[in-house]
Amino acid sequence: MSDQPTPTERFIQGILPENPIYRQLLGLCPTLAVTNGLKQALTMAGAVTVVLFCANIIVSLIRNLLKPHLRIVVFTLTIATFVTIVDRFLAAYMYQMSKALGPYIPLIIVNCIIICRCEVCASKQGLLAAGSDAIGQGIGFGLSLASIAVVRELLGTGALAGVAVLPAAWPQWVIMVLPPGAFLTFGLLLGLINWLQQRQSAKG
Amino acid sequence: MTYLVDIFLIAITAALINNFVLYYFVGICPFIGVSRQVDMAVGMGAAVIFVMTIAVFLSWTITYFVLMPGALVTTWVAQFFVSAERAAQIDLTILSYIVYIFSIASSVQLVEMYVRKFYPPLYKSFGVFLPLITTNCAILFACLMVMSNIVGVENPNDIWDLGRALTVGIFGGLGFTIAIVIMAGIREELDMCDVPEPLKGAAITLIIGGILAMAFMGFTGVDNGIRAALGG
Amino acid sequence: MESSSSQSAGGFKNSNLVQAWLVLLLALCFGSALAAVQVQLSDTIAENKLNETLEQVPALIWNEAPAPETVQITPGTLSVEKQGQASSYTLYRVAKDDKVAGWVVKAGGQGYADKLELLVGVDADVRKITGLFVLEQKETPGLGNKVIEPDWRGQFTGKATETPLEVVKGHGEGPATIDAITGATISSRSVTNIVNATIANLKGKLDASGGQFSERSQ
Repeated sequence: MSDQPTPTERFIQGILPENPIYRQLLGLCPTLAVTNGLKQALTMAGAVTVVLFCANIIVSLIRNLLKPHLRIVVFTLTIATFVTIVDRFLAAYMYQMSKALGPYIPLIIVNCIIICRCEVCASKQGLLAAGSDAIGQGIGFGLSLASIAVVRELLGTGALAGVAVLPAAWPQWVIMVLPPGAFLTFGLLLGLINWLQQRQSAKG
Repeated sequence: MTYLVDIFLIAITAALINNFVLYYFVGICPFIGVSRQVDMAVGMGAAVIFVMTIAVFLSWTITYFVLMPGALVTTWVAQFFVSAERAAQIDLTILSYIVYIFSIASSVQLVEMYVRKFYPPLYKSFGVFLPLITTNCAILFACLMVMSNIVGVENPNDIWDLGRALTVGIFGGLGFTIAIVIMAGIREELDMCDVPEPLKGAAITLIIGGILAMAFMGFTGVDNGIRAALGG
Repeated sequence: MESSSSQSAGGFKNSNLVQAWLVLLLALCFGSALAAVQVQLSDTIAENKLNETLEQVPALIWNEAPAPETVQITPGTLSVEKQGQASSYTLYRVAKDDKVAGWVVKAGGQGYADKLELLVGVDADVRKITGLFVLEQKETPGLGNKVIEPDWRGQFTGKATETPLEVVKGHGEGPATIDAITGATISSRSVTNIVNATIANLKGKLDASGGQFSERSQ
């Protein structure tokens, strides 16, 4: 048991070294879909973090009672329940945002990040480790989404989170807020991160 | 006649105009992960079409007959416990997501058993991909699309019937297959190119995906023209 | 391999009965959580959906909306025949001091990229368009998207309903022309077509005394 990462290590790993988007390449569907605006991106990151945290806690609590067979069924049931709850909360208290995010909130159920973290961390470690893993991964997810959203929204509409930043003379690169812009931005940013990573490992 | 036109338009829209991968961004993980070789891509695509059709069938049936407010089965059962008026108002849509994900898991199990029994060599080459389809966003997305056209539709005449739902299932999967096979074809050629080191793997695939998405944008508005031409 | 804590729980893991009870218990807990959420929030959500439309209604009839206490908005339906099929419109009867001031109709149709949903405001006898609002659109950002802008929508306000409206490129002269958005003729035409079709379906069926409007029971 002592070769498992500590809660603090789990937390820090989730932000950059084991970043769910740039390093693990999991949960790419919302990454491309909701990053056309900073507000949407952060709301989605918040929703995923909440679901991940709750699911991790529950799975960690019952981890000693689970047979390998039933693992996936229980994970899926837990995640689906929390996603439904989060979806209803958003529809009740943030109605416009819930409409903007549309079908991508229920798609959190099949988001590989959550199932992967339940499998790798929560089903093997205690509450504290599971909780800090969830929060770390959540922050990492939020940072990656925000990085893509900032590029897309700024270049595509000249505004950030709806607040105009670039001068009105900026010819809005509309393609950035359309599907091709999502693919291109993410691909180029991923290449950038890979390049930085390679330079770092070449030095060290 | 208008029904067939409608089906045709739903099919074209799901496969090309609003392509699941290149417009709705669902099914990205296999799009990047499984698109290395054309024959693997075709196999994955075929499996996805299969699973999507069965899953959409199950979702439509359960949503229409059990979950939506005023559904026949629920109303009939509830009549034994509450008044007929209250029974017609019972809304079980909060269970939708759970029901859909479990019907997807069952569809995958069904397809897996079928392929294992009747096409063993195919099953061997599929390996780990089949269970992976359960977490394919595209399948759940198809179910959600069907749900949004049944629940919360103001005009009861606009509620989708089984035919429209199955069309989305089959042709959405077909669109996914088209995208993933094109990508596989390109990547096979890419192996012989000089891709810069940081871009190798997922990054270059995404950039190519972006260019493909731009190409598919050319299909926008085609359904309008077809509709006008067919007088639908 | 397993530490001592999971040794004793190893027996638990392998018992099928415990597994079954566990799943059942989980299902019950989650089920009750969901039921609680449903009971608590479903009214709020329905209200949100309704308010989204209701908020726009007064501005679609009057330029200066009168005090809210004097306005009565009644939702209802109107049965029509669209392309040989029975259908219905969702609409709102807007009255000031109990006198019908106009109607706001929810109308939908195909846009350039995806479906469009509009709110069309007309006066009591369906003789004049009093306002237009775009509820839902997925047109091209920066181009067809501009149909939501008040400047473009304002063209519809005050237009008579005798002749169907026509979209012209550039600047149109005449009482029944709408200027298209540069580079987004199809989106402009789609919106105008929906408005024309809706007006054609409403004419003769609505008037100051109510006509064929049927109130929706709350």
